[in-house]
Amino acid sequence: MFKGIISIPKLHIRRDTNKWSIITLIIVCFVAIPVITIAIKLLMGPGESWGHIVENVLLDYSLNTLFLSVGCIILTGFFGVSAAWIVSRYHIPLGKTLEWMLILPLAMPSYITAYAYAGLFDYGGTFQRILESIGLPAARLSVMNMYGLIVVLSVSLFPYVYVSARAVFLYQSNRLIEASKMLGAGETKTFFTLILPIARPAIVGGLILVIMEVLNDYGAAKYYGVSTFTTGIFRSWFSLAEPATAVYLSALLLLVVFLLLYFESKQRGNKGYATLTKSAVQLPKLKVSKRRAFFLSSIASIPVILGFVIPVGQLCYWAVLTYAEVLNASFFKIALQSLGIAVITGVITVFFAVLILYIPKWNRLKILKKSSRIAILGYAIPGAVIAIGIMIPTLALDKWLIEISNQLFHIDIGLLLNGTIFILIYAYVIRFMAVAFNPLKGSSIKISEGLAESSQLLGAGKLKTFFKIEFPLLKTGLFSAFILVFVDAMKELPLTLILKPYDVNTLAVKAYEFASDELILESSIPSLCIIATGVVPIIVLNRLILK
Amino acid sequence: MKKNILIALATIGILTSCKNETKDTINKEVSLKEVNVYTHRHYPTDQELFAQFENQTGIKVNVVNASADELMQKMMQEGEQSPADVLITVDAGRLVKATDENLLQPISSETLNTTIPEHLRAENGEWYGLTKRARVLAYAKDRVQPEDLSTYENLANADWKGKILVRSSGNIYNQSLMASIIANNGKEAAKAWAEKVVGNMARNPKGNDRDQIKAVVAGEGDIAIVNTYYIGKLLNSKDPVEVKAGERVGIFFPNQNGRGTHINISGAGVAKYAPNKENAIAFIEYLASKEAQEVFAKANYEYPVNPAVSASPLLQSWGNFKEDTLSLSELGKNNKSAVMLFDVVGWK
Repeated sequence: MFKGIISIPKLHIRRDTNKWSIITLIIVCFVAIPVITIAIKLLMGPGESWGHIVENVLLDYSLNTLFLSVGCIILTGFFGVSAAWIVSRYHIPLGKTLEWMLILPLAMPSYITAYAYAGLFDYGGTFQRILESIGLPAARLSVMNMYGLIVVLSVSLFPYVYVSARAVFLYQSNRLIEASKMLGAGETKTFFTLILPIARPAIVGGLILVIMEVLNDYGAAKYYGVSTFTTGIFRSWFSLAEPATAVYLSALLLLVVFLLLYFESKQRGNKGYATLTKSAVQLPKLKVSKRRAFFLSSIASIPVILGFVIPVGQLCYWAVLTYAEVLNASFFKIALQSLGIAVITGVITVFFAVLILYIPKWNRLKILKKSSRIAILGYAIPGAVIAIGIMIPTLALDKWLIEISNQLFHIDIGLLLNGTIFILIYAYVIRFMAVAFNPLKGSSIKISEGLAESSQLLGAGKLKTFFKIEFPLLKTGLFSAFILVFVDAMKELPLTLILKPYDVNTLAVKAYEFASDELILESSIPSLCIIATGVVPIIVLNRLILK
Repeated sequence: MKKNILIALATIGILTSCKNETKDTINKEVSLKEVNVYTHRHYPTDQELFAQFENQTGIKVNVVNASADELMQKMMQEGEQSPADVLITVDAGRLVKATDENLLQPISSETLNTTIPEHLRAENGEWYGLTKRARVLAYAKDRVQPEDLSTYENLANADWKGKILVRSSGNIYNQSLMASIIANNGKEAAKAWAEKVVGNMARNPKGNDRDQIKAVVAGEGDIAIVNTYYIGKLLNSKDPVEVKAGERVGIFFPNQNGRGTHINISGAGVAKYAPNKENAIAFIEYLASKEAQEVFAKANYEYPVNPAVSASPLLQSWGNFKEDTLSLSELGKNNKSAVMLFDVVGWK
């Protein structure tokens, strides 16, 4: 397989091929293996129930998914952009605190936020108790429906938009804004006609991550009783026992994601970051009247309260009820294992993302640029599908190795790869490549290409240039990428369930085990641990963005 | 260049160190006394039982936890190389499916055949039930007279319009209930029944079994279709509100004058390519033993399959009931039809 792909550049563009292009192609191949496996499966046709699905449920899945995505785009867009603009433009009460608190919901797995809200508004839940205690009738608010799902997913995912929008707002050229004001445009008009269009590529980038997360969500949608494409994929795979049909549904989903990525790259290509490179000075903040500052501060606080404070409060209440039974030595072992796996995953993913990002720059091969797009597709594929996409080829390799060792050495080596932590981390790397790639790309775009060119003209090699010039400038991007992957790996569930080795367990799996056994209260402790391990790095991440 | 090589070496170092660690455990698997268990059950009591088995026999129990569907996919992909010795699921439908997919092998065990009633195990010994749960009706004591309840079929009656609460059809317990109705009444009747039940639902299916009971108490509907096991969990919850909710519903065993209440099992089978077949049989025999069954009965609000062991006091307080003795293999055979019927009638 590799041989075929490597030989293509050799045949056609001999001059541009070097060791770097080959290394990148190999990495891209490794990352693309599950995608290719699924594509091959696709050629083999859907299962026998495909007709049944098209006739009875496909429309429902599509409309629900569309409605959910549009709802989440609107709500995360509003929360993310408004909060980012307010905290980067105005002096407001608690401004400094809000800046980092707005990122915290990233540490919350969305299915756990969903459980927390269901419990909060449940019969006899916290909401009813509060109403009762202040003498109001115990009304119930129904959250377990499509609208509830949109709110729950939006308050857990808006930080993707917030982070990318704020990065642009912070370093906006003040001269531009001044010019706009001198021409008579007010604050609002300047925002909508000048600032927003400039920030658009960054905002859309954040929204795309939001959509990918929404499309990948399984736990929250299932619990709230909303049938989406992803719940449909699980249903046809497991309930109907037709992996081929599930792959067909995933392929439809992939097609949509492909289109989204295509439009995103197109609009990015047109706009570029021209204004960003010129202004490295932070925008000075505006002072406004006290009342207005308070109003703005409350607007920016809403998503933090909804996405973090309230659900964490509910989890803490449950944790107080159940900690005595859940916390024990084996629980701490699980916590350590989770942490270790997430750190290793972060380091490896970032390393590969740098290679995939940089090597095409040193090379004139067009195919490299195109292929790096494939490498970041993993984020769009449901975790369970990636798991199967990895198991099929690696098991084939394992079986081949077993046969060889049997014939040559007469030893039974067993499965070398499958059921090891190696395969689990491999799967994580594929899944999270896009998470690492995007912030790196963001930072690298800001680095003037002239710098590297001058360095090379002065006789420094590509590697020396990278380590002396680009690496220091890229540091922020590298750490952001690491932290995002780390936090995501701590939360990951479907892949881990299928690929994790014996004796290894993660906090997310533990939380799932409790929840799937309808022990939602007990699942609060592992959930809180996942959140806690995410909060510290996220605060660090915020410092890095500000630097 | 040197730095690059260093980074590459470091990466390889990290990767191989992880790999070696796990490789060792795999090598051990061949030489040591052990049994590899793929299980959908993940209750603390199960871990205790596994530990006791280790103590008594010296056979180490390695556990992989995931949903039965995922475990079966894993076994299919692993094929002959699968390290799995035992597959444990929480419903009969999946065990039959595993048998059909050729993932389990028939075993003959005198011990198991004498302790486990015939309708709770596969004819050829591919799988054996370990615990039972009944799918019952939890009704609002203040609004429903138990005399008005009779059968599952009765839930299709227009009297119950807007009163029935049940979780989504993605759930295996609903699929198995539907499969039992298909097996007992035929496909057409089952479809008509499901259509009417959907029409009688108080709300779109969502949440889990506990949520259905709480919705009854909150007044959203009057009757919830739930597993006995979850009522036990609710009554023993750490949250006082849940305990109160559990106390406010009555429990009704349907179809007592006919075929009996639909039951399901949690059960185990020996994997087709089990590397430690003998240990696997010993393991399942242990789980069916009086000693282990008592632990199951006490801790998890499940009914033991071993007739020599009596159910927990809570379960006994609900009274004895007649169970549907339909062979559980039928649940597996009709599972797919059940899922498709749910899709057709719009049971979400």
